[in-house]
Amino acid sequence: MFDGLRIAVSRVRGLVRRNHEDREFQQELETHLALLTEENIRRGMAPEEARRAARLRLGGTEQLHEANRQLRGLASVEEFFRDVTTAWRMLRKTPGFTWAAILTLALGIGANVAIFSIVDAVLLRPLPARNPGQLVVLAYEQRGGKLESYFSYPNMRDIRGQTKVVFSGMATYRTSFDGLGANGHAQRVLSAYVSGNFFSLLGLWPALGRLIEPSEGGVYSAHPEIVLSYAFWKSQFGGDRGVVGRSVSLNGHPVTVVGVGPRGFHGVFPFVETQVYLPMSMMMVENWMSRSLLQDRNGGPFQIWARLRRGVSVAQAQAALNVVAARLASEHPKSDAKFSLAAIPETLARPIPMQPNPVPAVAALFMALGAMVLVLACVNVANLLLVRAVSRGRELAIRAALGCSRGRLVRQLLTESLLLAFLGGAGGVLLGMWICGEIGSVSFSPGLPLLLDFPFDWRVFLFAFGAALFTGILVGILPALRASRVAPGAILHEAGRSVTSGRQRLRSVLVVAQVAGSLMLLVVAALFARSLERVQHLHLGFDSAHVLNASMDPSEIGYSDAQARVFYKEMLERARALPGVRSAAIAYTIPMRTYTPEMDFIDVEGYTTPPGQPKPLVNFNSVSPGYFRTMRIPLVRGRTFTAADNRNAQYVAIVNEAMAKKFWPDEDPIGQRLRLIHSAGQWREVVGVVSDSRMLTPFGKIAPFFFIPFAQNFASYATLQLRTLGPAASAIPEARNLIRSLAPGLPVFDVGTMREAISGSGYLIFRFGAVLAAALGLLGLVLALVGVYGVTSYAASQRTREIGIRMALGARPAQILKITFGQGAILVGTGLVIGLAGALGAARLAASFLIVSPTDPLTFIAVPIVLAAVALAACYLPARRAMRIEPTQALRFE
Amino acid sequence: MNDSRSEILQGTLDLMVLKALEALGPLHGYGIARRIEQISRDALRVNQGTIYASLVRLLQRGWISAAWGTSENNRKAKFYSITRAGKKHLAAETENWERIAGAIGRMLSLEERS
Repeated sequence: MFDGLRIAVSRVRGLVRRNHEDREFQQELETHLALLTEENIRRGMAPEEARRAARLRLGGTEQLHEANRQLRGLASVEEFFRDVTTAWRMLRKTPGFTWAAILTLALGIGANVAIFSIVDAVLLRPLPARNPGQLVVLAYEQRGGKLESYFSYPNMRDIRGQTKVVFSGMATYRTSFDGLGANGHAQRVLSAYVSGNFFSLLGLWPALGRLIEPSEGGVYSAHPEIVLSYAFWKSQFGGDRGVVGRSVSLNGHPVTVVGVGPRGFHGVFPFVETQVYLPMSMMMVENWMSRSLLQDRNGGPFQIWARLRRGVSVAQAQAALNVVAARLASEHPKSDAKFSLAAIPETLARPIPMQPNPVPAVAALFMALGAMVLVLACVNVANLLLVRAVSRGRELAIRAALGCSRGRLVRQLLTESLLLAFLGGAGGVLLGMWICGEIGSVSFSPGLPLLLDFPFDWRVFLFAFGAALFTGILVGILPALRASRVAPGAILHEAGRSVTSGRQRLRSVLVVAQVAGSLMLLVVAALFARSLERVQHLHLGFDSAHVLNASMDPSEIGYSDAQARVFYKEMLERARALPGVRSAAIAYTIPMRTYTPEMDFIDVEGYTTPPGQPKPLVNFNSVSPGYFRTMRIPLVRGRTFTAADNRNAQYVAIVNEAMAKKFWPDEDPIGQRLRLIHSAGQWREVVGVVSDSRMLTPFGKIAPFFFIPFAQNFASYATLQLRTLGPAASAIPEARNLIRSLAPGLPVFDVGTMREAISGSGYLIFRFGAVLAAALGLLGLVLALVGVYGVTSYAASQRTREIGIRMALGARPAQILKITFGQGAILVGTGLVIGLAGALGAARLAASFLIVSPTDPLTFIAVPIVLAAVALAACYLPARRAMRIEPTQALRFE
Repeated sequence: MNDSRSEILQGTLDLMVLKALEALGPLHGYGIARRIEQISRDALRVNQGTIYASLVRLLQRGWISAAWGTSENNRKAKFYSITRAGKKHLAAETENWERIAGAIGRMLSLEERS
């Protein structure tokens, strides 16, 4: 380790300084040879012979050079350690400065470490599997639509059969929510249904028992087995080794625990803990999927994971897939027309394959913001170092006068700044760990078993090391070069007063940079905050206040559909009778809940699909009577659902205005007919039109959407929605009691207000972005203020003598104020102009994540004004102090 | 130059360089080599280039310092001078050397007699 460092340092140094020192040594040897030759000539040798003898006497110059170089290399290491100890001593002499610098750098580096560790977890860290670089996720595109990643089983089989040259294996994966009953109570779990070869494809070994095996999963209900994830086993079964062989119930069906997954494996989706694994075929048992699931080529629920053969690149695999896609398209023109396949490296397919994948862009944006904060911190510390270099001017001048070379001085000063940076870096790592811990403990979405821990791996430490190194050089290089350029004579004579003008200019540049940088940060932060606010106050088309949601799935405790229907009917009646409840309804899904969308292709009577295009794919929701009253979605025409719209009556639907406009632009929608292709396929009559509301995303154009009676498209999973008189959250205990009294032991999840629900899922990215950007912006603002204040007050104190003279000559305080304040104001103004230009650029980069326009006028007016106000205040304080200077005092200053 | 001899030389050569600089003031590499040869009456005739390794070692330990100057024949030359630390080290080493040399001398004469 030590030797390694020694060699590394001497090599680096050798590269940098080698030529220079070699030339010096060459010169020395030449002089030596010349002197020796002259001596030989004096002794009576002929000139030619004298030169030859001299060469012999001195020895081979090449060997001498080599020996010299070797010695020099080692010397620099010794000097390095001497520099470090000296630097440490110097830093300890000025604890105030040292702490300020270390804290500033720790903040800057900490913010970056936190951001990087999130990026690391999302984009860089591979799955804990064997050779994770070989893993790819397959996706397909049909008829020029968007990238889809759920395949039908026959398609998967065909693709697998025809790509054996490039893929050594292919496995399917499908997540779902299920109710797991064990130890006398049921709970909701995130489960994965996997093909038998899934675990062997990933190269995983059980922590206990066995995993699902390649021979399993092909036959309906043949292997009622379950594998627990390691974390789930630890938390829910207390790490009991006797769990293997036990029978538990999944959605009321008995399944046997066969093993526990490997430690540290949380499933293939990032940020969630997949808690249990079952053979793929159990999906038909547990999730009411059609028994023909494994034969049906149309649509399908399977994600495909594949492993590249050794030495096969993603591009080669892609080429093979193109051939297969073309073949599938010609063999199955009905279902696979215009079919194309893509292989996407596992790390770029998180959480699902997307084209284009926005994650790297978001990551880049936040890394850039983080870098900005770090640069601001660096500027501050560089400033401190400049001031320090002035006060150390004498020391440095003396050292220079005593023969210390400029390079040596620069190195000494750089060692100091690097030492500072590494101390700051260590603090930054601790801070980053703390921030990540805080982020991990924030609950964003109550419905998912979120896994927001960002363990620090070597990448994060490497990043922190790199950041510290970069920081140390960045903050140190300018002050060091400046300080070492000092002419010793000048400094020693003039007591360092008249040589500061150059530094003043540099400091001015730094102030401008700081103001500009913090303006950029603040603008981006403000744009995110404005987007979040806009989203929350967006007209959603329904009234999110005073609505409470609670979701459940009675099949998780083994209820049949008939039992569940009775349960829901009774629950609704009793809920409506609760004292604090205005109205109640049951709905399959709630707005913005992205993980339970209902959508289907539809046929509309009298509407013909343009040739070459798929049938319209429309989102819908299954709701009970009372839904529109509870959600306060206004009815435009026709009627809402009643209890009479049951499964024995005429099937009906209510459409939103967007849908009415799309399919019946010139006709009365009431009485028109439509049909869902896959689910509950009878023709339905449109009985009502409701106004548009935002059901899927908080922004963008409102898409066609329709509602059907819950009774006519029953699913065991549903959400109870209550409109309350008082605050929605206060009705939580009553709602829980009600459900418990009807079905003891039924897991109730996603309990919370509608406000929470929509900000938890639909706005997650904005909230996360706004919080992160705001934190970075604030940090940047504080750093900029400290910087501006520090520089102006230092500049004022440097001019104390000048101010004294001016006042003695009759200048009024107001004039003095103008001089000192004016200087600061010019710098702040310049910074603001440059910052505005930068902010426009940064906002354009962030535009795709914003709801407000990237040139949002309010932001671009308010933020610079606020920043200008605080920055000018920071200039004003030192200026006012300068104004109050007593001339006599000022002249005696220094 | 054979190896065993050079190993013995390394320490003694450093010491001789220091002594020469202490006695004669700042010298360039050739000057040092010349003096050492003169004083040791050519008993330590080695390649004069060896002196430079010794000079680098001494510089690194801070026992001597170097500065560019002009030689007697008007050439650019590096002049070495002993530092205060170097003088201290020389004094300590001289004492040490005398003790060891005395001990070895007595040892060798003892062997001769028996």
